[in-house]
Amino acid sequence: MELDYKKLGFKCGIEIHQQVETHKLFCSCPSIVHDQNPDIKIERRLRAVAGETGKIDAAAQFELKKNKMFIYEACSTSSCLVELDEEPPKDVNMDALETALQVALLLKAKPVDEIRVMRKIVIDGSNTSGFQRTMLIATDGYIETSKGIVIIDSVCLEEESAKKIEEKEDYVRYRLDRLGIPLIEIATDASIKDSEQCKEVAGILGMILRSTNKVKRGIGTIRQDVNVSINGHPRVEIKGFQELKSIPKVIEFEIKRELSEIKSKKKLESHVRKADPDHTTSYLRPMPGAARMYPETDVPPISLTSELIKKIKIPELLTEKAIKLEKKYNLPSQLAQEIINNEDFETFVKKYKISPNLIAKTLIEIPKEISSRFKLDTNKIHRKHYDLVFDALTKNKIDESAILEILTQAARGNEINLNKYKKIETSEIESEIVKLVKSNKNLSLNALMGMVMSKYRGKLDGKKAMEIIRKNID
Amino acid sequence: MIVPGNNVRLSTRDSREFEGTILPDTNNEKIVIKLQSGYNIGIKKTKIESIKQLPKQMKKAIKKEKIKYNKNLPTVSIIHTGGTIASEVDYDSGAVIARFTPEELMGMFPELKKIANINSFLLSNMWSEDMRFSHYNLMAKAVKKEADKGADGVIITHGTDTMAYTAAALSFALEGLNIPVLIVGAQRSSDRGSSDAFMNLLCAVNYIAKSNFCDVGICLHETSDDKSCLILPATKTKKTHTSRRDAFRPFNAEPIARVYPDGRYENISKHATRQDKKDSKIKVKPFRENIKVAILKAHPNLYATELDNYSKFDGLIIEGTGLGHIAINEIDKHTGENKKIYNSVKSLAKKMPVFMTSQCNNGRINMNVYSTGRKIKESGVIGDHNDMLTETAFIKMAWLLSNYPKPMVHKLMMENLRGEISPRSLEKEFHFFNNNQ
Repeated sequence: MELDYKKLGFKCGIEIHQQVETHKLFCSCPSIVHDQNPDIKIERRLRAVAGETGKIDAAAQFELKKNKMFIYEACSTSSCLVELDEEPPKDVNMDALETALQVALLLKAKPVDEIRVMRKIVIDGSNTSGFQRTMLIATDGYIETSKGIVIIDSVCLEEESAKKIEEKEDYVRYRLDRLGIPLIEIATDASIKDSEQCKEVAGILGMILRSTNKVKRGIGTIRQDVNVSINGHPRVEIKGFQELKSIPKVIEFEIKRELSEIKSKKKLESHVRKADPDHTTSYLRPMPGAARMYPETDVPPISLTSELIKKIKIPELLTEKAIKLEKKYNLPSQLAQEIINNEDFETFVKKYKISPNLIAKTLIEIPKEISSRFKLDTNKIHRKHYDLVFDALTKNKIDESAILEILTQAARGNEINLNKYKKIETSEIESEIVKLVKSNKNLSLNALMGMVMSKYRGKLDGKKAMEIIRKNID
Repeated sequence: MIVPGNNVRLSTRDSREFEGTILPDTNNEKIVIKLQSGYNIGIKKTKIESIKQLPKQMKKAIKKEKIKYNKNLPTVSIIHTGGTIASEVDYDSGAVIARFTPEELMGMFPELKKIANINSFLLSNMWSEDMRFSHYNLMAKAVKKEADKGADGVIITHGTDTMAYTAAALSFALEGLNIPVLIVGAQRSSDRGSSDAFMNLLCAVNYIAKSNFCDVGICLHETSDDKSCLILPATKTKKTHTSRRDAFRPFNAEPIARVYPDGRYENISKHATRQDKKDSKIKVKPFRENIKVAILKAHPNLYATELDNYSKFDGLIIEGTGLGHIAINEIDKHTGENKKIYNSVKSLAKKMPVFMTSQCNNGRINMNVYSTGRKIKESGVIGDHNDMLTETAFIKMAWLLSNYPKPMVHKLMMENLRGEISPRSLEKEFHFFNNNQ
């Protein structure tokens, strides 16, 4: 069933949360997530704090009903009294703030004149304090997509929450190492037109964040929340996407779910859902209300003067960098886009007199091939292995065709003996091949090719071998 | 139009629009506004192009719990001194508002009504760090008034900074105390979900309602966990951490009891009971507000003038080093000043009581072990063999000077009146927290 987004009254916005590569936001603890044995364990309970309206927030009420004990486990290496809610926060990490401002400027958003750190009430236990510290940095930005402009409502800087380890009837266990890592939150308006555009927006925002070169990489360091609604169904927030690719499918399933809910004539409420691996979603909790923020009185306001903003260096976008690399080194555009994430590429190009194209291919395509063909962990291929290969290529000691074999050995964790791949003069090989062909006249072209390659793999390019066999077969 | 509480739509010169509530932080340079998203931001006034007033949102009624007197439950009076133990967040303005009437307090902590009938009122807004002797008198009189009205116990909510001084002050000022008085504070303010205020209050109410305790005590968290509170002796306790929940520790004493939020408790050390005190009557022996007692911390490179500053005072506590020492010996060419210090100490001790305590906190003064100590004693400094905390010694001396003639002050400083001097130093006192964590 093709969905008619316009007719459905489809409304969609996305929020991106990205960890920043610096120490924690309100203390000097390093931002490392690890699985060391905890040396600190504390047990706490949280209490909902009712607002003057006499109303406790719906999400807060939901958590409170569980009346659970929270067990916090921490390591002294990555948590101090600030994470344990036993010491007030220190000043905002200016490194993190600078990165957030860079992102804001890349999004063409306008910084606020004065930042006020807020406490956002969260009492599911994921914050020891009962709130998450957050601050609005900038508003009113935009990005361009293939289907038009999408408005960026806000850029915020906030604390990462603690990681849930276990949940039982009467307690929840959290680890505190993640708590307090700086997190940039980007929120778009609800003008995203369809599920594909949503994926595109997520991709662009991720690229912009990475352009600062100061964000964390790897699983769990970036998270997307997608808000979806259609005519007749209130807003639903979906969390926990496994990968960008899954966004369109999850949204489409969600629309179908919402359509059937509307048909059921139940009373529908705004709520939060979790994206499951099969692209469907499941109920998580009620939607938190807007009335759950109050000032963090322990941190003074921060003035963003125009002088301060002027000093912020706006980094080059990765997409622009890719175009530059493409032109400068005459790379295929796909390869250029991938090589921008490789910090060593330009260093290798300067150091070795071989074609940039070959260097880029070696760094990007060869590891991909090793991982898909041999199911090996290419993280075992280190800089020293590339140096070895590029040096041998520069000195003409090995043939291009040996690269795959050498790096495969590296991925297997084996010692590399370059002598095994020593380049042999083509004329020498040619005479050997001629001998082989002549003594095996009854064999097919493919069989001959197999024989030659098993003998000269890594020393002779396949194409060249075929050429020589062909020439001598007649 | 730029009045705190007003709902407005602001347009800025860079063509942005903000809708929200004006906050009290607004000043001449900037407007602070709570946006609809809940975030507060500051906007420079020079950037604003136009302001449109929007209709005000209706505020809902404050949650209040109707109070019914239950004759089967004890009555506990909660006297607030302006700490944040009963505060809530106003989400419209983001401000923290204190709630002190019994109805408001029960609205916040409905569980309390199952344990006791609660009277609750604000005595006066006092920051604990700003307190003076007159505040102790106010509190002591308020406790007596509640006891006279028939309260079975009194809780005083108090800022933690000088809470231990207040506890000692009330111990002395309330002679013949015949009900329990617990001073309760919090290290995390009660506007946050993780506040220790509620459990501390709950444990205090439980201990008053269920135990036989009849003295002044302090009630706060035992550990960083929300598992138990300690009832601590008023004259033997000190705030030992700037921010942790379990900041309060007893010195040269064990805690009185351990209380769990569900109402269970374990008595740890011997203490006065209601049976002991059933025939006594409270008499407030107040502090004289103009009494001047000073605390001087002994330290290396001390100057005699530091002591001379106090020549017009009524009394002095020297927080000495180790067993009770201060630099008084001229031992080489570098220590000529020490001789002057000795003369200053001697001259002060002639005019006023000069009492020795130790910076070690744990342990007892002994001015016989070294010749320095003996010389200090000879100069007229008192306090040998006492194990009082400096804070308690300070309060006690001020109280004695307020109520007794000078010669009696010297004598009574050395007598145990409210558990402030222990006759024996017990091995387990120093290790209590090592063994219980």
